[in-house]
Amino acid sequence: MPHQCTTCGRTFPDGSKEMLSGCPDCGGNKFQFKPAGETIDADETTDAGETTDAGETTDAGETTDESAGSVTDTPDSESPRPDSQPPEAQTPNAQAQESKTPDAQKTDSEHIRDRTQEDIAQASARSDVVSPDELDQASRDVESDSPTGSDPDSSGDPEGPRPDIDDLRDELNEQFESIRIVSPGKYELNLMELYDRQEYIISLQEDGRYVIEMPDAWGISDE
Amino acid sequence: MGLLTNLKDSISRVTDGLFAADEPKRIGIYGPPNAGKTTLANRIARDWTGDAVGPESHIPHETRRARRKENVEIERNGRKVTIDIVDTPGVTTKVDYKEFLDHDMEKDDAIRRSREATEGVAEAMHWLREDVDGVIYVLDSTTDPFTQVNTMLIGIIESQDLPALILANKTDLPGSDVQQIANAFPQHETIPLSALEGENMDEVYTKIAEYFG
Repeated sequence: MPHQCTTCGRTFPDGSKEMLSGCPDCGGNKFQFKPAGETIDADETTDAGETTDAGETTDAGETTDESAGSVTDTPDSESPRPDSQPPEAQTPNAQAQESKTPDAQKTDSEHIRDRTQEDIAQASARSDVVSPDELDQASRDVESDSPTGSDPDSSGDPEGPRPDIDDLRDELNEQFESIRIVSPGKYELNLMELYDRQEYIISLQEDGRYVIEMPDAWGISDE
Repeated sequence: MGLLTNLKDSISRVTDGLFAADEPKRIGIYGPPNAGKTTLANRIARDWTGDAVGPESHIPHETRRARRKENVEIERNGRKVTIDIVDTPGVTTKVDYKEFLDHDMEKDDAIRRSREATEGVAEAMHWLREDVDGVIYVLDSTTDPFTQVNTMLIGIIESQDLPALILANKTDLPGSDVQQIANAFPQHETIPLSALEGENMDEVYTKIAEYFG
């Protein structure tokens, strides 16, 4: 009984044309295929492959029962062609979803697993938003790691003060562009700026600081 | 540099003018470094008060703070003129300590001198803005007067309408060229002199009395 109606259980021989227009007894149009002589084996393999197949066949709304890697789905339906088709080739859906050898299923499941993992990673990368706290933490980690991890930074410690002084010098130059401190002991002066400013520099400090006399509103500072 | 400042300047100039007869005028001695400003100031002070203003040196930027000699009475042709002489640091646009190293100076001293010289320039410019009633501009007649500093300072002095006397110093030196200075600033009278040797000082005092009296 290669074909069996899933509703009433009536069986049809391979190649039977009775089932082409539905089950003559109950009118059902769902059949399962059981190749002759492989019934026992088929049952065994059904057990083995059931979980995998079950998940996939539910997509088509089919029931699998206990039997097999071969669920016939002919909803609308061309009835199966028992005479011509091997179990794997019954319907397009069945072909795509179920007609796999155990090895094929295995590799397929591996593909699926890989793809699933990849999808999860990608999906999280695309959809998750990093919170500000995490960003702060990450930057702190980088900062705290870098001095210990990298030689340039540790070797840069002795030079640490220099950039500060340079920065300070640049800042001073921007603020008080009448005197540009090129380097210690080297100055460039903008005479017009010095002349135009009400306040004037009383003394320059070695660290780049300076003291200025603030103008008094009405010249009391002359005293 | 706001309206208030301009108003303040105007008022102070008017009030200064009201008491001009009583108060001595401050005459600033300006010029680039090593032009002989302090030598001239000392010459004038010694001639009329017996005191000096400050030390002279062939090393540039010897004068790094403005020095004032007050109540210098200059008598010319039966007329007395009382002035305060302000000897100012040489004005320049660049100060580099390395130029002092050539004068047997230690690096630290040269750097300090450079810093003080820079402060001196700032102070000189401040005095020019606020505190002088006239300018004696001293130039070394052996050097090219067409410099940015000279042009800028003379321009500032002119813009302030300050009376200015241009002195071509160091006429005792072989390379002296007074005419070159006269050509550079034709709008001003140029007086040759040697402050070091005391040459032509009579004419200088006459002009001081004329310009600042």
